[in-house]
Amino acid sequence: MLKYFVSRILLLIPMLLVIGLVVFIGLELAPGDPITAMIPPDQLSSMTLEDIEAMRESLGLNDPMLVRYFRWLFNLIKGDMGYSVVTGTPIASIIQNLLPATIKLTFAALIISTIIGLLFGIVSAIKSNTFIDYISSVLGVIGISMPEFFIGILALLIFAIRLKWFPAQGRTDVGLNALQSLKYLVLPACSLGMVLAAALMRYTRNAMLDVLNKDYVKTARAKGLPEWKVYYKHVFRNSLMPISVLLLLRLPMLIGGSVVIEQVFGYAGVGSRLLAAINGSDYQLVLVIILLLSTVSLLASVLIDMFTALLDPRVRLGGDIGGAK
Amino acid sequence: MNKQDYILSINDLKTQFKIGKRVVKAVDGVTLNVRRGKTMGLVGESGCGKSVTAHSIMQLLPKAGSIKEGEIIFRPQNSEEFDIAKYRKTDKKLRNMRGRQISMIFQDPMSSLNPVYRIGDQIIESIIQHERISKKAAIKRTVDMLEMLSIPQADKRIMDYPHQFSGGMKQRVMIAMGLITNPELLIADEPTTALDVTIQAQILELMQQMQEQLGFTIIIITHNMGIVADMADDIAVMYMGKIMEFGAKEDIFLRPTHPYTRALLKSVPVLGNGGNDRLEPIRGTTPDPSDMPEGCSFMPRCDLATEKCKNAPPYEDVGNGHMVRCWYAKGGAANE
Repeated sequence: MLKYFVSRILLLIPMLLVIGLVVFIGLELAPGDPITAMIPPDQLSSMTLEDIEAMRESLGLNDPMLVRYFRWLFNLIKGDMGYSVVTGTPIASIIQNLLPATIKLTFAALIISTIIGLLFGIVSAIKSNTFIDYISSVLGVIGISMPEFFIGILALLIFAIRLKWFPAQGRTDVGLNALQSLKYLVLPACSLGMVLAAALMRYTRNAMLDVLNKDYVKTARAKGLPEWKVYYKHVFRNSLMPISVLLLLRLPMLIGGSVVIEQVFGYAGVGSRLLAAINGSDYQLVLVIILLLSTVSLLASVLIDMFTALLDPRVRLGGDIGGAK
Repeated sequence: MNKQDYILSINDLKTQFKIGKRVVKAVDGVTLNVRRGKTMGLVGESGCGKSVTAHSIMQLLPKAGSIKEGEIIFRPQNSEEFDIAKYRKTDKKLRNMRGRQISMIFQDPMSSLNPVYRIGDQIIESIIQHERISKKAAIKRTVDMLEMLSIPQADKRIMDYPHQFSGGMKQRVMIAMGLITNPELLIADEPTTALDVTIQAQILELMQQMQEQLGFTIIIITHNMGIVADMADDIAVMYMGKIMEFGAKEDIFLRPTHPYTRALLKSVPVLGNGGNDRLEPIRGTTPDPSDMPEGCSFMPRCDLATEKCKNAPPYEDVGNGHMVRCWYAKGGAANE
């Protein structure tokens, strides 16, 4: 099993290199010359072409692309992500400031949606084709089909503006205790988690109903196991495999959703910064953030493989059907 | 015969499925006595209700199905007899019965074992459910049982997962799981249908060996006349939810009386039966179970059918407990 995990992690490296290359090429193709961006226009006009060329040479801008790519990559690993061309601040410090907030938001949304999704999914599977099942089905379809921003705005209107339970906008950690700053998290995290919760609920229900029809569930009942044990040990455990795949597969979508939700709630995070960067043509920042988000997606897919291996001996031990060893 | 000699008595059992607004009478008045310590073969073509009968005994019917009428009297050796049909599917009484007093093995061993648990754990689960026993003793018993069923290196193989076993080996595991609690009755629902022919014989032989050693009763469900000829003491022939003919193996094979049984026997090849007998398929197809003909359900396909058959025929003893559901059973045209 350890071998399997190590090989999965090692496989990450070439994939990250390719993503890095794509982002780097994107940076290359982005409009604008680094020199003109670096030097104020009034100084630039007094420089000769030779001066500019000499500067290019000294900055290594004339090296072959592959050399520059690996230099860029190496700097990236060291934590030097370059500078935002719009504000001039180091990208590393921007991300350092905003990433924890976004992680907190997506993580909270993930937990909320997992709890709600699994709970309602299990209940509607056990009570399939009853009133409870129909109600949660309807809610599920509504949840899946409503876009995140709409849920966000709705939540804003009801809970922040009408009921005034939670703050409508912003995020702050300054001078507040944990409980107060948590208040800023509740609405965005809930709105972000709702879509995933609805999808997860439908999926859990179907996965469980699928497993319920399997012969080994009948075997479990034929052994005389009580119903709760049948459900817990044989139905839920086995349907957890497809559910965990969905959950982790949706993780990148959750991060994508956070871009929208952060904007709706004025929640300062990587997502809302990404939107601002796109609007401000801050290509450096956009591409680095995209690199970051795609790395998370990649990590999620490795997590899926690991989780499936943990749950399913057929994946872990290799080999498929039949055949004694 | 004494009532106590029958481990199971099914009286007028009716099991129905509700599919949308349609009601399918899968089992429509089955009456059956199973002799203790013997093997009973329940035969019939696909969809005749033999499997539903077996699942009714265990009350393992799917959600849409339920027992509507009749009784299933189970007489365990050391405790009071009771009517299985009276209890709800999830009743504790039935839970304690399943896997302890009555075990069941299914058609497809490939899908009958949970792929994510070790086979040792799956067998032990059954012991632990019904007995207070240390884990160590349970493991010991599991290994012993697997060795009895000739699984090589049983002490190591209990740590393996189902996908590491072949089909025949999985069915042995299923049999071990069924027998580990020393039940009085083993219901085998087409136990060899999903296996190779060579493995089939091995599995059946193993079941017979185990029966000799442990003395349980077997109900074997199959559509294969060869298997019942080999294994069964008594045979019940089922058609469209009813028992058409019931009798000792000799009665059924040497003196088949119901036209359906005769047609069934004519449609299977018999080794060493000379070369000139042609196999005769049964003409027509089985009627729609939700739209059954009035009277005898075999009438549309029967060569002997007359006006009389539009009324339901009686289920009569034609001698020595040989029961037949046909108007012509007693010295009639069917006995020519």
